[in-house]
Amino acid sequence: MSYKCSRCKRDVELDEYGGVRCPYCGHRVLLKERSRDIKEVKVE
Amino acid sequence: MAEEFDVEFIERGDRSARFLVRGLTPAFANGIRRAMIADVPTLSIDTVRFIENTSVMFDEMIALRLGLIPLTTPLDDFEVGETVTLALDVEGPATAYSGDIQSSVPEVQPADENVPIIELKQGQRLEFEADAVLDSGKTHAKHQGGVAVGYRHLQRVEVVGDAGEFEEQEPNILRGVIETEDGELVNADEFGNDLTQRYPGKEVEVHDVPGAFVFHVETDGSFSVDELVLRAIESLDLRAAELEEKVRV
Repeated sequence: MSYKCSRCKRDVELDEYGGVRCPYCGHRVLLKERSRDIKEVKVE
Repeated sequence: MAEEFDVEFIERGDRSARFLVRGLTPAFANGIRRAMIADVPTLSIDTVRFIENTSVMFDEMIALRLGLIPLTTPLDDFEVGETVTLALDVEGPATAYSGDIQSSVPEVQPADENVPIIELKQGQRLEFEADAVLDSGKTHAKHQGGVAVGYRHLQRVEVVGDAGEFEEQEPNILRGVIETEDGELVNADEFGNDLTQRYPGKEVEVHDVPGAFVFHVETDGSFSVDELVLRAIESLDLRAAELEEKVRV
């Protein structure tokens, strides 16, 4: 899972045991980035 | 029907026209109207592959807007169901317009260059690839080539006498096209849709002319009005022929 720290703006990889916390600055607010996949949408 | 149709143009432009047809039944006139709306296929964006969308709108909302952009459609080169690939890449601060869309086929382009898709602020970007598919208005309204297609009876205006000298002249509002006593066709717009402007101080009678219909046809820019009307009639012709064949067996 890739997130972005809302304070230091760095990319954060979260593992299962680390809890929700930025390893660089300790901030607890992380933002989920949009995936870089190509998204296909049907026009309805 | 053995009698011939008599067609006369009142206005004729690339995207809109007004013409009179004599010798039609109301059912047939309506058949032509419906064929122009639902049976003439146009290209329209059907699937969008978003590579990047950091704009303020969801992918689905942008896709819906893209579907409604009219694309020029060379009907001789495409069969229903065939696709054309289009692409767009715009980075803010800018507004993404339909004119920014790049097409893989030079004949297929956005019919208008100035349809806004979305306004992008600094750092926002919209990039996608899209497939436009040829289909008819029956499937989805975005495939309608004819917009604002309709007809009215031709109205014949006869002067029956003078209005009373001290009678108050109330506006006599009328829309569509009139036929004067000497057979001249006049669009009611020309005299402000008010018969008292054209015949001041006269008393007039207005009658529908049987079997005479004035069509007003506008296209979304996918093709010319001529093409739209001819294709609609061709589709009626094909279906009539098909029916004839099936009945005969």
